[in-house]
Amino acid sequence: MKPKSSIENAVLASPLVIFLLAMLGFPVVLSVIYGFSEARFETIASPTFNGLANFRQVVADPAFWQASWFSLRFGVTTALLQCALGLFLAVYLAPLVRRHAWIVAILIIPMVVAPAMVGLMYRLVLHEFVGPLPYYLNLIFGSSPSFLNIANVFKTVVIVETLQWTPFAFLLFLTAYEAIPKEMREAAAVDGTRPWRMFWRIEFPLMFPTLFAAFFVRFIDGFRVFDNIYTLVGPGPGGSTTSLSIYIYETFLRRGEIGKAMAAAILLFISAFLLLALAQQMMRRRG
Amino acid sequence: MNLKTYLRVGSTALALFASATALQAQVTVLGWPGGPEEAALRAAAEIYNAKPEVTAENKVDLLFTSRDGFFDKLQVDLAAGSTAFDVNLIATYSIGKYAPYMEPIDLSADASKVFGDTVLKTMQFDGKQYGVPTDLSLHFLYYRKDLIAALMADDAAKAKYGEISKKYLGEALQPKAPEEWTWQDFAANALYFSQSVNPDSPTKYGTVLQMKNLLFNMMVFHSWPRSYGGNWMDDAGKITVDSDAYRKALEMAKMLYDAGATPADSTSYEYAEANAAYSSGQVAAMVQWNAAAADLTKAQAETGSFSPPAGPDGRFTHIHGLGLGINKATDNKEGAVAFLNWLASEEAAVAYAKAGGAPGLTPETAAKLAADRPDLVQVSDYASKYGFVMNGGTSANALTVYEAQAKEFTGYWAGTQDLDTAMKNITASMTELLKK
Amino acid sequence: MKVHNWLRWLVFILIALIMNFPIIATLMTAFKDPSEVMRNPSLWPETWSLANFATVFTISDRLNIYGYLWNSAVAAFIGAVLPILVAFPMAWAMSRRGYGRAILFPLIVNIRALPLIIFAIPLYMVYSTTGLLDTRLGLGLILAIVNLPLTLLLLVNAIAEVPLELEEAARVDGARLGRMIFRIVLPLCRPAFVTTFVFGFITGWNEFLFGLMLTTRDAVPVTVGASFFFASSGGGVQWGVAASVMVVAALPPLLLGVIMYRRITGSMVAGAVKG
Repeated sequence: MKPKSSIENAVLASPLVIFLLAMLGFPVVLSVIYGFSEARFETIASPTFNGLANFRQVVADPAFWQASWFSLRFGVTTALLQCALGLFLAVYLAPLVRRHAWIVAILIIPMVVAPAMVGLMYRLVLHEFVGPLPYYLNLIFGSSPSFLNIANVFKTVVIVETLQWTPFAFLLFLTAYEAIPKEMREAAAVDGTRPWRMFWRIEFPLMFPTLFAAFFVRFIDGFRVFDNIYTLVGPGPGGSTTSLSIYIYETFLRRGEIGKAMAAAILLFISAFLLLALAQQMMRRRG
Repeated sequence: MNLKTYLRVGSTALALFASATALQAQVTVLGWPGGPEEAALRAAAEIYNAKPEVTAENKVDLLFTSRDGFFDKLQVDLAAGSTAFDVNLIATYSIGKYAPYMEPIDLSADASKVFGDTVLKTMQFDGKQYGVPTDLSLHFLYYRKDLIAALMADDAAKAKYGEISKKYLGEALQPKAPEEWTWQDFAANALYFSQSVNPDSPTKYGTVLQMKNLLFNMMVFHSWPRSYGGNWMDDAGKITVDSDAYRKALEMAKMLYDAGATPADSTSYEYAEANAAYSSGQVAAMVQWNAAAADLTKAQAETGSFSPPAGPDGRFTHIHGLGLGINKATDNKEGAVAFLNWLASEEAAVAYAKAGGAPGLTPETAAKLAADRPDLVQVSDYASKYGFVMNGGTSANALTVYEAQAKEFTGYWAGTQDLDTAMKNITASMTELLKK
Repeated sequence: MKVHNWLRWLVFILIALIMNFPIIATLMTAFKDPSEVMRNPSLWPETWSLANFATVFTISDRLNIYGYLWNSAVAAFIGAVLPILVAFPMAWAMSRRGYGRAILFPLIVNIRALPLIIFAIPLYMVYSTTGLLDTRLGLGLILAIVNLPLTLLLLVNAIAEVPLELEEAARVDGARLGRMIFRIVLPLCRPAFVTTFVFGFITGWNEFLFGLMLTTRDAVPVTVGASFFFASSGGGVQWGVAASVMVVAALPPLLLGVIMYRRITGSMVAGAVKG
């Protein structure tokens, strides 16, 4: 019986495994080879092994650390904002959603639009002369901030990302909030617990695992951000809006430093993997 | 759903992409997308394809993608030996980079009669001709004739102009006709027409500078340091970017930015944003590509144009040629050569120019177009009088030099680093990139 | 209570307007007359015009919106269906027998957390040698990789919810394993297929980076095609046209999302909580 089922298992697994190997097997091997080689476009067919030279170059490049710092700051800030806003909306709008489910459909619209497109949209929306937002701010307040200058550009891209992906956090929290057993609330209400206290003492702890998961997913997506920043402002003056993904893209294509780009990608891969392992460990410990 | 449906869905998916492939044995030309260059190439290709001697398999098929990331993609395509096109765009500043993947071409003697040797040179690298020059790109100073006329006719305004220039530039300047402007006059004008400096200004901004971290913006900027005597390197190959000339031009641009003479968002502006600002009527003058002439004039009828302002070393405009050359991996070299040879003929150059292109032509050829394209006379006039290419501007890494400058200079303008740091960084990267 | 609800509606409307502002603004700009875009930055068009849409939908040699939309549709379809096909048998083995739970499952699910750009570079090289470059199949295949983690997760969860008795009954009747999986389990997973498909299709449609890197002409998806309209206006700054092409490009996933919002909700939750 046992050998038969293990053959069966192998057969069942084969489509997935073959697909994965076919698609990613060679790229992964290639990435590793280029990561440890002197490789440029002119010598793309004949990379020469140069040990850890690419990695040393990456680690010594201030632009790499600037990009890492940007990605980290961007990921944490946007994830926090999205979770806070999403949690508020989920709890506050839950009574409405119970009776009018369609309002969820309205709120998730930003999420189904391509981030690259959202970046382009803001290029129009924020333009001082043709954009509606500066126009209305001027009309109402008599002045409008420069959204994309160096003082504001970080805030602007954070807000752009937050407004687009808060619906994701909102959906998670809404589901978690509605899944809290009725009896728990009723029992608390009988004890005379007031709504504010009920939220912090009962509901919030129950939603905490969801909060953790939402934060983590949003952090990862923010950390690897590319599309919307690239289409809205590009690498930014002095590289000020260069995320890690943009850094790798530009190192590869703009400067043709293939080996260095791959080395940076490998470093990123490893740190993302470690981060994920850490997060899962924390989740498990809580659970 | 059962096994059969499962398989059917799978085979439908397979069939969908099987229908995708269709290849034609033509001469595929990858052109510069989106501008008058595209319209002109279309017109020229149409004439060529209509010729009876051009066989079906040698007909020209045009391919245009996006200006965004154009050179990124081209680099990868060429390096990977792509056969998606037989003829591709090259530019003066990128020939050196692409030469290893391209096939040199022998043009007939007629070509030098049509374009002249100076223009043919913009398509040469290591003494070999790599392409047929199609367009000459340079920069114009665009200005609002109505605003400047009003300024010159108003004594109170002139006094104010002198006052502002004294305060910001250290010398009291008189308004002048834009044909006589130095960069000092350009700056004074930009300040005078900015409401942050002069609340009575009819426009919100005196100019609009393109300060986004983008290599093309560096080309627009370069006429400025050049007119102060700046260059990338001296004849011995020493990098001379850290010079009074570059510092002066960079500082003046930053001063204008900090004074609010250009929109605060300028650090995210490129071609489209800058044109939109000028078109809105809220900008008095700007330096922009010659290709924008028609659109800016359409949006603001009172638009005049001249070569960019002068500096102590004279008047200069950054110039580069666009052209078409042969992809080494082509599978139709014969057809590609035939098309390019035709493109270098007078018939083609005239047709190309009539359809909106901007070829650099000899006076004899240009004379035949005087009625249709008076602006070409302007372009070839400025190109021959004021045109320049930086030392090293055609080397293999020229494009990457512009990239590096874009990063460092925009960083200085936006205030993420000081001028000394920017100069130190750019000298280091240019030394690395331009070493022999 | 009444006052409270009134406030809630207000918050909802405000938030909906703010979050959707770029989409609303783009929509309104698209309806302005091309000459008006430069003059009138307000939301409301002075004269309603379809001229921008007419420009977008007029096929030129260069900008073929139908082609871009078709490319996106085909690639997103492949990208949504293929992972379901390859992952379904494995999902059964994982769910019922715990096979591959230890290594393969976390490995695949973790792909979601990776910045996808690290695959773009080597894939270009592989694609250029295998002829997958600039094909809808090539784009679809990579979208399938993008969608694989969530697909596997959803299918494993869905199979776990199929009552075990049904399978056992089929076994008693002498059904062979393959037959049992496809005849009994597969039909019961149909809702999960729909969810997975909707979410995969939207994700695939909205993908930008691989579209930019791996296509030139034949397989350019609409997210990249839209940027052609925007950036390559050459001499003309056609913001109105840019706005309408964005509206056109965003409409299919938007409609799909709004119509199927309940399904997306379900898949999101599973993906985030378990992933």
